[in-house]
Amino acid sequence: MDTLIQLSDVTKRYDNDARPAVGGIQLTVAAGEAIAVMGPSGSGKSTLLNLIAGLDRPSSGAVTVAGERVDRLSETAVARFRRAKIGIIFQFFNLLDDLTVVDNVMLPARLAGMARRRARARAAELLEALRIESQRDTYPARLSGGERQRVAIARALVNRPELLLADEPTGALDSATGEQIGRLLLELNRSGQSLVLVTHNPDLAARYTGRSVELVDGQVARDSGDGRARSTDLVAGAEPGLQVLP
Amino acid sequence: MRPGSVGRAVRGGIARRRVQVIVISLVLMVSTAASVLALALVVDSNGPFDKAFAAQHGADVTAAFNSVKTTDTQLSGTRKIAQVTAAAGPFPQVTTTLQIPIEVQGSGAADLTLPQLTIVGRASPGGPVDDVTLQEGHWPTGPGQIALNSNPQNDNLPPNLMLGQHVVATGIPGKPRLTIVGIANSVTNTADGWVVPAEISRLTASASPVGEQMLYRFASAGSAAAIRADVADVARALPAGALTAADSYLSTKAAEAVGIAPLTPFVIAFGIIGLVMSVMIVINVITGAVVAGYHRVGVLKSIGFTPGQVMAAYTAQVMIPAVAGCLGGLVVGNLLSGVLLERTANLYQVGGLGVPGWVNLAVPVAMLAVVGIAVLIPAARAGRMSAAQAITAGRAPRQGGGYAAHRILGRLGLPQPVTIGLAAPFARPARTFVTLVAVLLGAAAVTFAVGLGASLQRVVTGLNLSKTDQVQVSLPMPQGSGGPGGSGLPIRTDRPGPGPSGHFKLPKLPSAEAAQHAAIAAITRQPGTLHFVAEADEEVSMAGLSHQVQVTAYQGSADWLGYDMISGHWYNGSGQVDVPTYFLTATGKTVGDSVTFTYEGKQLTARIVGEVFDNVNNGMSMITGTQTLADGGLTEAQPNQYDIQVRPGASAAAYAQALQQDLGPLYGVNQTGGSGGLPLILSLLALLTLLLATIAGLGVLNTVALQTRERVHDLAVFKALGMTPRQTIAMVVCWVAGTGLIAGLVAVPVGIALQHLLVPVMGASAGTAIPAVILSVYGPADVAVLALAGAVIAVVGALAPAGWAAAARPGVALRTE
Ligand SMILES: Nc1ncnc2c1ncn2[C@@H]1O[C@H](COP(=O)(O)OP(=O)(O)OP(=O)(O)O)[C@@H](O)[C@H]1O
Ligand SMILES: [Mg+2]
Repeated sequence: MDTLIQLSDVTKRYDNDARPAVGGIQLTVAAGEAIAVMGPSGSGKSTLLNLIAGLDRPSSGAVTVAGERVDRLSETAVARFRRAKIGIIFQFFNLLDDLTVVDNVMLPARLAGMARRRARARAAELLEALRIESQRDTYPARLSGGERQRVAIARALVNRPELLLADEPTGALDSATGEQIGRLLLELNRSGQSLVLVTHNPDLAARYTGRSVELVDGQVARDSGDGRARSTDLVAGAEPGLQVLP
Repeated sequence: MRPGSVGRAVRGGIARRRVQVIVISLVLMVSTAASVLALALVVDSNGPFDKAFAAQHGADVTAAFNSVKTTDTQLSGTRKIAQVTAAAGPFPQVTTTLQIPIEVQGSGAADLTLPQLTIVGRASPGGPVDDVTLQEGHWPTGPGQIALNSNPQNDNLPPNLMLGQHVVATGIPGKPRLTIVGIANSVTNTADGWVVPAEISRLTASASPVGEQMLYRFASAGSAAAIRADVADVARALPAGALTAADSYLSTKAAEAVGIAPLTPFVIAFGIIGLVMSVMIVINVITGAVVAGYHRVGVLKSIGFTPGQVMAAYTAQVMIPAVAGCLGGLVVGNLLSGVLLERTANLYQVGGLGVPGWVNLAVPVAMLAVVGIAVLIPAARAGRMSAAQAITAGRAPRQGGGYAAHRILGRLGLPQPVTIGLAAPFARPARTFVTLVAVLLGAAAVTFAVGLGASLQRVVTGLNLSKTDQVQVSLPMPQGSGGPGGSGLPIRTDRPGPGPSGHFKLPKLPSAEAAQHAAIAAITRQPGTLHFVAEADEEVSMAGLSHQVQVTAYQGSADWLGYDMISGHWYNGSGQVDVPTYFLTATGKTVGDSVTFTYEGKQLTARIVGEVFDNVNNGMSMITGTQTLADGGLTEAQPNQYDIQVRPGASAAAYAQALQQDLGPLYGVNQTGGSGGLPLILSLLALLTLLLATIAGLGVLNTVALQTRERVHDLAVFKALGMTPRQTIAMVVCWVAGTGLIAGLVAVPVGIALQHLLVPVMGASAGTAIPAVILSVYGPADVAVLALAGAVIAVVGALAPAGWAAAARPGVALRTE
């Protein structure tokens, strides 16, 4: 199976003298894999995710995602890489409050230069698959937390990214809603979507991903998998995968 | 809480808001400098005159009387008229022609004939009115002595007069000789020279009557109308025809202010624009800073700052850079004013002119008061807010007009970053309005300045008659002729006039006729000649005016000369004259009236058919055809100059050179126009425009910088979704580009209106109306380009913060929620 993410000896220091936020990380993730990154607060989970997404650059080491040396790309190139290959969802959704639901979802496609009509069709398809099509012309402020997160997921998927990154996607949701979002991610992965999920919640990690990596003080303390596990093997009776992927 | 912590909070705030600190200090600096400059120019434009007028108890009116029609006793009686507060005289006076022997370089000695001079017999320079300042030598004490008036506005006397020189009164039998014993200065130009009273009778030709002079100060003399009423009172108290001339101090004052007074209205306009813009920007900067700082206010309060301490922290954060900027502006303003005022100060012996002390005090106090008010209101609000309120209020507003704007703009099919950027102003209407006003004023200033610059260029062109390339040939002045040398052309003409040969008697010159023929032949020979016309310049006198009027007479219509018409039409027949505005003002005539003037004893009447834009002889001139003079019997008027228009495409400079070579050195050949005489005002204009555009740009920069700080989180989200740096810059620039475009569109008519309002005011303070040609300078292309000025200011101002926004890494911002 193809390697999707390859981190080699990756270190990130925010301050030159301080202890690194992550240090000497070695990590390989295969395409189609779903992994959970776990660890106590401040252990470097978000930092790691930002490095994979090219939102930040490592102090040293190499970050290769989908065959690109992300750490070496220019700002413009990394932006293009991001909108083509990566979808990100956040704990606090990060929807743009002065755009409607459908405009939020279309935005990455429009930034990538997709025609308005096609972007709208693609957004409609995703909103329907995620069962929020009725809210397409609403503004995010009117939506519940679960609905917002589904909009954020739709937005993350609009450009058919090879990799979906999620930083505590259920952290701001009650447990029932969090459960729904978890199942959604599971369905996505079953239909072939590679996924890196950052979470505090060992239960979530166990139920919806096939492999968990635990960070402590910026170092990989434990890695459960061998790069082959798929969430589908673990959850019996899951729904068929979402039909929104390539 | 120790007081030191407020200081630390201030320092922390300032360090974190470097852009804001720089913008506040620059805006304050620029507007303080502009205000100082404006006020100093206003105060000092009449400063030298007013100082000297007060010191000398200058004459409100210098009146001349015919001694045949009135007596000394009657004249002395006019002191008792109610309106008269002080009077001096009667002094005997005479108008005569003097010659001064001078050295001409290369040609040996020559006699310079001065224009008709007014000589007054006065026993002493002092008195209740016109307390003349003696600058060199002594006051005449006996026969054969004269003191001359060195007033810089007095065109009748050459500069560099020297004690001990002799002058000869040529118009008097026996040609009496006088020695210059004193150089004095009368601020109101009551005479060209003074002798002891007994000397006047010796200087009076037996035929002409002795005149008498009275100098008056009146209770009310503030306006031309008041002066006219005062003069009428005096005339009524005397037999009819006794009063022959009355000169008001106002015309002298206007003439003296001519150099700087026209600048004043536009500097005031720029000062006011600058002030309003500064206020707008300061309010924008400060409320923005305080609102953006609300979050911090909340934090400060939650750790125990009192409302007073919070207010103090914010006020200090703004006031420290404001004071620094103000002081810098004071220095810059004083330096700029110094450069401008130096010229006028040199003109007068009344000591140096500086920026008055009260201006240096009032301007910074006023500026800081404005800043203080602008900061106190939001700071007080911040002080009153609860900590929790403040923390939430610090967030950028997320609701409101932005929605509809997005929907509408979304339909336009523009690239997404542009759509989002253009919709942003609707979410912050108040801030958008303030930015709009600042950019509008900046763009209006640019429009106004461009128009004013073009108008001034046309003023220079109009005064030089150099719309088309023209060349002038002045004829050598033969001995004893009645040419302009004899009749006394002004020594300092404003138009490139005859060369030195026109004024001096030089040996071995051709006769007038020979010179004319030679010139015509040479001009006709030149292949580049398109039109040419003979010009005769004569000085005539008019009843009621103590100064001579210059008549410029052209042979034929010569309407191609290019005088700009203000009203009426160019003369097209005998007995018609065109005159400058100043002539109309000084004589109280209007277009259509008749004027009567006297030349060498003959009386002539002509009708004024047009008002022209001209300042020859300070605007005391008439332009007509030679036929007018010939029909009046003035056969002595001889051409002294030829004006030539060269063919299109021919070089006037080459033409002038060829003609000069053909005619030889006795003839003066000049190319008109060319160098404009306005570098000072044009560079001042450019400087002030640049300053105002900079203020506007800084205002935009600040607005955008604030907005990027407020929307740092949204910007990070955009980037996380794959917005490239270029797209980010496009979006951020679009936050203000729309506003700038609208401001620019509104600014163009505002700027044009300002130009149409101010150019005539500037003209009026220089004593002339403005022809339409000079006023209408904006072409469609100019308007189109100027309409973009607002957008350009906005885009340039936004580029730097847009660049910062594009360069910032999103990782950090995404965490903050
Ligand atoms: N922008 C930054 N500047 C300085 N230090 C930072 C920055 N971002 C993170 N850190 C530090 O890096 C370390 C790792 O932070 P990170 O956000 O990656 O942790 P995390 O595992 O995501 O924590 P949490 O579970 O609370 O979200 C922490 O010590 C944090 O203080
Ligand atoms: Mg985290």
